[in-house]
Amino acid sequence: MAKSDDCVHILQGLLVFGNVVIGMCGIALTAECIYFVSNPHGVYPLLKATENNDIYAAAWIGIFVGLALFALSILGIIGVIKASRTLLLVYIILMLITFAFEMASCITAATYRDSLTPSFFLKQMLERYQKSEPANNSDNEVTKTWDELMLQNHCCGVLGPSDWQEYMSAFRLTHNDADYPWPRKCCVLDAQGLPLNLDGCKLGVPGYYNSNGCYDAISGPVNTHAWGVAWFGFAILCWAFCVLLGTMFYWSGIEY
Amino acid sequence: TMLPLLLLLLPAAHAIVELKYTPVLTQTPPLEGLITASTFVLDQPRCVFGGYDNASIWLVVAVDKAAFNNTARPGTLETAFQGFPDSVPAYMTLNATLANYPCPKRAGDITVLRVGSETSCPQDKATCNGPLPGPGPYWVKFLALEGSEPVAETAWSAPITLRTAKSPSSISTTDRGHSAGMIAITTILSILFAILLAGLVAMLFFWGSDSCGGSSTFSKPESVTVRRYNTHHVYDQPAARL
Repeated sequence: MAKSDDCVHILQGLLVFGNVVIGMCGIALTAECIYFVSNPHGVYPLLKATENNDIYAAAWIGIFVGLALFALSILGIIGVIKASRTLLLVYIILMLITFAFEMASCITAATYRDSLTPSFFLKQMLERYQKSEPANNSDNEVTKTWDELMLQNHCCGVLGPSDWQEYMSAFRLTHNDADYPWPRKCCVLDAQGLPLNLDGCKLGVPGYYNSNGCYDAISGPVNTHAWGVAWFGFAILCWAFCVLLGTMFYWSGIEY
Repeated sequence: TMLPLLLLLLPAAHAIVELKYTPVLTQTPPLEGLITASTFVLDQPRCVFGGYDNASIWLVVAVDKAAFNNTARPGTLETAFQGFPDSVPAYMTLNATLANYPCPKRAGDITVLRVGSETSCPQDKATCNGPLPGPGPYWVKFLALEGSEPVAETAWSAPITLRTAKSPSSISTTDRGHSAGMIAITTILSILFAILLAGLVAMLFFWGSDSCGGSSTFSKPESVTVRRYNTHHVYDQPAARL
């Protein structure tokens, strides 16, 4: 009995420790997701323009899952210490529900991240940048976002200035090809915001125009956001899996 | 058979010198805008028209090489940019003199001619260097005129075809691959969830049964220790101890 008592105490200790970690990770997940939701990065208007807010759905689910994990971890600690079958059963079932939600959030975040290919941004840019009759406010937002993006990151287009040459675009409809092979924001600008050498920019002389594409600048923050939600959630779920297995084992051993 | 002979005689008769130079698209420095949908960039003909100090050097742009006659005069309806290419098979533009093309070229200078750069010429300017109306192909050559007499010409260039822009709807955004990370997350989490559900089912199924947890039953700290009774031998067991 003494040996079994030691085993019991060790198991209880492990479970309490596991629940403490889950509780802290729950708080961390909530904090991280609140940060993402309240602090949209610069390319958010591009994502918003597609009317696909999956990444924000994933973050919102993350907030509530984090709080639920914290509350459940407290319930779990109490249940383990009191060795109460009902409490632990409630704990296990609620944890499984939370597990399912967090799983959905991770998969959504990962899938959404995969859908943001260069082609996706290219098509959106060509169809909406400098659209002459903006259908709604989001077109203006797309134009402003791209202008800022190209200005701050010294880049042009998604893959390069040749994007504007290879494809027809809303921009091309209002700006003729000879004067504007690519937008003026693709030129190297001086302190006043005017092209350093307009002819050099139009010709495409190295040094007077931005030759690299903006895709790297876009995908950086989006990746951080998506993988932050997805992988952190995944790590928490793996840990929760171990704790839940231990709890089930503990539960089945409690005298009733 | 007479035609080639005649053609051979014609230049001799007019004394047009055929220079051994072919107009080329600019190779150095590499230009992003070398060929766009309505413009292209040629090297200036430096050190080509040596000795023709008084001549005007014109650029001839043609969709039909054979249709251009060296006796054509620039600035007339027959060589006007505005009629190109429907009624005018070749137009003349970018008038310059030898002074514009000093020889030798200074190192570091970018000496190019951008064909198609004048986007706002007046309607009557026949020698407008306007944007080209279609993808071509086009042939170009340089022609030196003294007065209105052609004196020297370069060879015709290779055919130059401009870019054609595709429609953005041709960009396919539907075949998005799934990254390895997303597949890993999905499979692993699904497996873990399935195991947990199986565990829950096992727990509930064996609720109340001792078979799984018999070896490690442990008591609740505040509950009373009660010796289990074996009903078959109830008369053999002592009374419960509190």
